[in-house]
Amino acid sequence: MATAVAELTRTEKPTPKQRRDWLPGYLFISPAVLLFLVFVAAPLVAAFGLSLFHWDLLSTPEFAGLDNFRQLVTDEATIRAVLNTFVFAIASVVTHIGIGMLLALGVHRTMTRGTKYFVRTAYFFPFLVSWAAVALVWKYVLDPTFGLATHYLSELGLPTTNWLASPTWALPTLIVVDWWHTIGYTFIILLAGLQTVPAQLHEAARVDGANAWWRFWSVTLPVMSPTIFFATVITFIGAFQIFDPMVIMTNGGPDGATRSIVQYTYEKGFQSFEVGYAAALSLVLFVVIMIVTGLQFRLSRKWVHQ
Amino acid sequence: MGAPVKGKLLDLVLVLGGLLMIAPLVWLVVTALSQPIDAFQLPPQWIPSPPTLENFRQVPDLIPFAQMAWNSLQIAVITTAGSLLTSALAAYAFSRLRFPGRDQIFMVLLAALVVPVQLTVVPVFVLMRWLHLVDTTVAIWLPALVNVFGIFFLRQYIASIPRELDEAAIMDGAGHFWILFRVILPLARPGLTALGIFVFEASWNNFFWPYIFLSSPEKMTLPVGLVSLQGAMGGGPAVVLFAAITLVVLPILVLFLIFQRSFIASIATTGLRA
Repeated sequence: MATAVAELTRTEKPTPKQRRDWLPGYLFISPAVLLFLVFVAAPLVAAFGLSLFHWDLLSTPEFAGLDNFRQLVTDEATIRAVLNTFVFAIASVVTHIGIGMLLALGVHRTMTRGTKYFVRTAYFFPFLVSWAAVALVWKYVLDPTFGLATHYLSELGLPTTNWLASPTWALPTLIVVDWWHTIGYTFIILLAGLQTVPAQLHEAARVDGANAWWRFWSVTLPVMSPTIFFATVITFIGAFQIFDPMVIMTNGGPDGATRSIVQYTYEKGFQSFEVGYAAALSLVLFVVIMIVTGLQFRLSRKWVHQ
Repeated sequence: MGAPVKGKLLDLVLVLGGLLMIAPLVWLVVTALSQPIDAFQLPPQWIPSPPTLENFRQVPDLIPFAQMAWNSLQIAVITTAGSLLTSALAAYAFSRLRFPGRDQIFMVLLAALVVPVQLTVVPVFVLMRWLHLVDTTVAIWLPALVNVFGIFFLRQYIASIPRELDEAAIMDGAGHFWILFRVILPLARPGLTALGIFVFEASWNNFFWPYIFLSSPEKMTLPVGLVSLQGAMGGGPAVVLFAAITLVVLPILVLFLIFQRSFIASIATTGLRA
């Protein structure tokens, strides 16, 4: 591919045969590129611009310099939202990758076909349900008076509380619901990765006298490391953008205990119409994602085999 | 002797976990089929006796369900068909045609994969307001017609199709449109299907974008409509809400059971997340 470009740039006058591809080339990419310019590139630049203004969508935008950013670092609600988002993201990655890996290993064994089908389908089903439906149903599951969870937990003699109204428990509860909703995705990715581990490697390790635990560490994990890396990156990026369950289940409450960065951006931009401040907040999210993803790639050199 | 027992025990744990996973969904459907007086009883009644469809009948009294379903379907179909088309055209150009700036443009598109939609939503909202498109379905599907991941994915897919096939067609005097639609795309069908399923499902379940852009009940999509129903009902019949949720959830679950293989493949191959 690179040589093709070099060829083009080196030749002073492209041959008519080469030129023949130019027009169709530009024509074919034009719908995607035009939409991209209008709905991705220009808004991206505009977000940077807007963050330098005070604007309520109605009156004339007023240049504010770095005002919005100064406000950001002193706004306790912002700091809280950033912390909540980090807690949610880290917990979400640990539960998804950790429990997802155990699940994938559990299913990737000799099982009857029926059992395998049932288990795989059951764990995957919730992922197909929209967040809106999941959040609404779980609000009822967790209801302190007539909820399923409340009932069975107390049947088992476990303590229950009004999970979503508790400043301590609301965020952990959303982490559990997120796990329930999204584990099917991580599970399928990890299971697909597990299926790429060559059986001969396991055989060889077995012949060398390695026990199951050691085979997992020395064979399965290294071969799977690119898959685990991919799943980790994707889960992190998804978790940083979390919005739906907060809006539907807790509305960020109680008292900001579950408010995420995106939700706060929404509140600022579309409820109190502080458009510049919302743009500054969305840039924070962008920077967070860039830094964390960059760090992951950097760290990956230490543990991902390629 | 010990290993098979341990295996069976693990199977049992996984099956019990699976039952626990689907319990909320089963409860949803059971409640939707229950008489209002039996719903939300404790201990929960897992078999509705006798089951009733009355709650489903009442859904249209609360929200314009058919209209919302139509909006969701319309948006999902336009988004899927449109983004597959723009992606296929661009992917073909990026993998088969040569023109100045090709690789640079592709790199710029790829870099945009890391831009979250939340970063662009405020400016896009301003733009849509200026175009008088806020609270229309156009605001939902128009920006979704460009799918950078789709371009990348199809480009990889097309690259795996031997060039000899289209070179033979060029010899016969075929144009690029003809080659793309008659030679390449039929061969890329598994890739198109996997991508299409995922785009459709993501659009059908999307909440964030419609929640911001749509406000009139008759313009809303199902996920936003359901949430608005929750607010509108106050102390109203929750069983009807459950019936409405069931109507949204069941088709996707049934579709999954039918197209299970493609669904799983679409995740395993695209690695996309809704």
